[in-house]
Amino acid sequence: MIDRPLLVRGPRLGRRAFAAGAVALAGAGTARAQAMLPLKIGVLLPKTGVQAFFGQSCQRGADIAPALLPELGYQARFELMNADTETNVDTARARAEKLINDGAHVLVGPFDSGAAGAIAQVAEQRGVPFVINIAAAPQITEQGYKFVFRNFPTSGMLVTNGFSLMKDMFAATGAMPKTAVFMHVNDTFGQANRAAIERLFPSFNMPFRILDTIAYDPAARDLSVEVAKAKATQAELLMVVARLNDAILLVREMVKQRWEPMGIVSPGSPGMYEEQFFTSLGKYSEFIVSNVPWYNPRSEVANLLAQAFKKQFPNDRMIGHIFNVGFTFEAVLGAVDAYQRARSTDGKALAEALRATRIEKHVMVGGPIAFDAKGQNIAIGSAALQNRNGEPRVVLPATAAEATPVFPIPGWTKRG
Amino acid sequence: MTDWAGRMAGDAPPRALPLLAALLAALLVLPAIVDSYVLSIAILVLYFAYVGQAWNIMMGFAGQLSLGHSLYVGLGAYASAVLFVHHGVAPWIGAFAAIGAAIAAAAIIGALAFRFGIAGVYFALLTIAFAEFTRIGFDHFPWIGGSGGLFLPVARHGESEFWMLRGPPVMFYYVILSMAAMAFAMCRLLMVGRIGYYWRALREDEDAARALGIDIFRYKMLAILISSAMTAPAGVFFAFYYNTLFPEQIFSMLRSIELILGPIIGGLGTLFGPILGAFVLTVLAEVLNEVLAALGWEIPGARQVFYGLCLLVVVMYLPEGIWPALARRLGLERRR
Repeated sequence: MIDRPLLVRGPRLGRRAFAAGAVALAGAGTARAQAMLPLKIGVLLPKTGVQAFFGQSCQRGADIAPALLPELGYQARFELMNADTETNVDTARARAEKLINDGAHVLVGPFDSGAAGAIAQVAEQRGVPFVINIAAAPQITEQGYKFVFRNFPTSGMLVTNGFSLMKDMFAATGAMPKTAVFMHVNDTFGQANRAAIERLFPSFNMPFRILDTIAYDPAARDLSVEVAKAKATQAELLMVVARLNDAILLVREMVKQRWEPMGIVSPGSPGMYEEQFFTSLGKYSEFIVSNVPWYNPRSEVANLLAQAFKKQFPNDRMIGHIFNVGFTFEAVLGAVDAYQRARSTDGKALAEALRATRIEKHVMVGGPIAFDAKGQNIAIGSAALQNRNGEPRVVLPATAAEATPVFPIPGWTKRG
Repeated sequence: MTDWAGRMAGDAPPRALPLLAALLAALLVLPAIVDSYVLSIAILVLYFAYVGQAWNIMMGFAGQLSLGHSLYVGLGAYASAVLFVHHGVAPWIGAFAAIGAAIAAAAIIGALAFRFGIAGVYFALLTIAFAEFTRIGFDHFPWIGGSGGLFLPVARHGESEFWMLRGPPVMFYYVILSMAAMAFAMCRLLMVGRIGYYWRALREDEDAARALGIDIFRYKMLAILISSAMTAPAGVFFAFYYNTLFPEQIFSMLRSIELILGPIIGGLGTLFGPILGAFVLTVLAEVLNEVLAALGWEIPGARQVFYGLCLLVVVMYLPEGIWPALARRLGLERRR
């Protein structure tokens, strides 16, 4: 549904040197920007249905923008017009039409490739720019659209980044596993990852061979057979694509069977950096590595975002939302940045400005926010998160690292 | 032709035909007077009216509860989309493959169920099972995109937009309007024909129908085959209107439920029930959204709650659905 717009008026001076710099960059355009009409940003997210948690989490990223962007030097006025896609492609398309009818100048969202595909067509037909926050299907930016921009890695980029980080970790620690076993949850997500890994692995010249690939049921209550099979390969590295519950089961079983490979690494899956993973496994959750898109803890914007999040949502831990919040905030940031440069709410002018985007200082790991000719940001990176002291800590890339990677990891019995 | 028209008019009340003509005229001029948002809602209403009409043949006419009709939508969508993406086959041709795929699946389900006496909730479970394992199968079939989805190329320059269904929403509106009108006419013909009477006989009392000499297996098979063949083009429409297909979405149980809510609320076994149900659920849910937005309330899930309330009210107070009661009030009951 569409709620009342939230209007951000007038400038608030930024704080500290970063904000001052950004204000200076915005420079002479400020006075004119204030005179412009507010940019209406239609935010489409699945706030009900099976993706409700993620949609609501993303919404926090958009909700923070009105307070934070002026602090970052963005003086342009903007309104958020929120809509619920209900985790449904039909609804996503209808909501997009509705938002544009109600005056949205740019669309942001929608945390789902199917919905993104449907909204993209509406955006293209109506000449309204659409900035995708989260949706990994590569085809979305392969359609020749002129008004669609994506600030999120494609599924191929995710696996590619994951493999690169593995290599970086081996180089940084000087430890090279010669063999690996790949275990994955046998569902849509696990199968998609397996396919991408099988496709990309041969071209990556990794230092290890994959001895075996073991799939397991996502609803499994016992992984003793699978873990025994993996252990029997005597692989030095365990690559795993898991969800939360099976990841917990898997590690418990490894401890029980005293299987201690050099490391446990996910080339790009959730589960092993989530809060419940830490609370369920305690010291056994430590040192496991997940290579995923993540916020850059060394980024000043990310730190300001963290402060704003804490202020606006004091009962939530940002670490549990950072992925969704970070990318959604960046999508709104991209739209407002384009508006400030375009000085117009016209769709074509905004699309041209988006095409010329180059935002150096932002939240997530990777290069500047910029879009190629297809509208894809190809500079988005992943971070290697290693579980340390009950929290996921960025250990790579070095430019974003909070700690140095530990590899090989300590055995189960050597953890105090 | 006269005989055909006579059968169509049949026992319809005198007021019905002018009203139907007026409704059709209004629908024909609708794109000229509404904006693109209302048009997109109208497309949704007509889409659900169409698939509701197709499902109504199974449940409303023949009394066979199918909870897996998303199977035929999905098969239709994938068959036509795959032919288009991999071989450049136009959807109008692909629709025949879509119908063929749906009929083949329906023939297997029907033969299994009706030959071995699987009925009632067990038949419903069987239809769910087929939709589910088809979904899982499609998830692991890379040639059609697997779980990563199948994306139809949106631009096909140099070819007729209509022939390739690559046009604007107005074109899709007239396509789905034609489909809904044809489905209505076909259901009317089926309803007033011998087959319609046989279906209703076996719906009311299978044993009595058998005792009267009706070949139960044959007419149940005809119901599932016709219903699936009618549902498949809805999948073709879905594929080319949305241009993205994900097994998890198109074969899902939720989609099956979504398809059947219209006829249940509108009136099972009636011709206008699926249309009215689709209108009530889609349009009133949008109006509800508008009212809430005007009040400044953001209530996630309001639409789902509204659907639940509609179902509750209909089950409690209008067990035949909205249309029979409305028809009585409007004097549109069938002549006896």
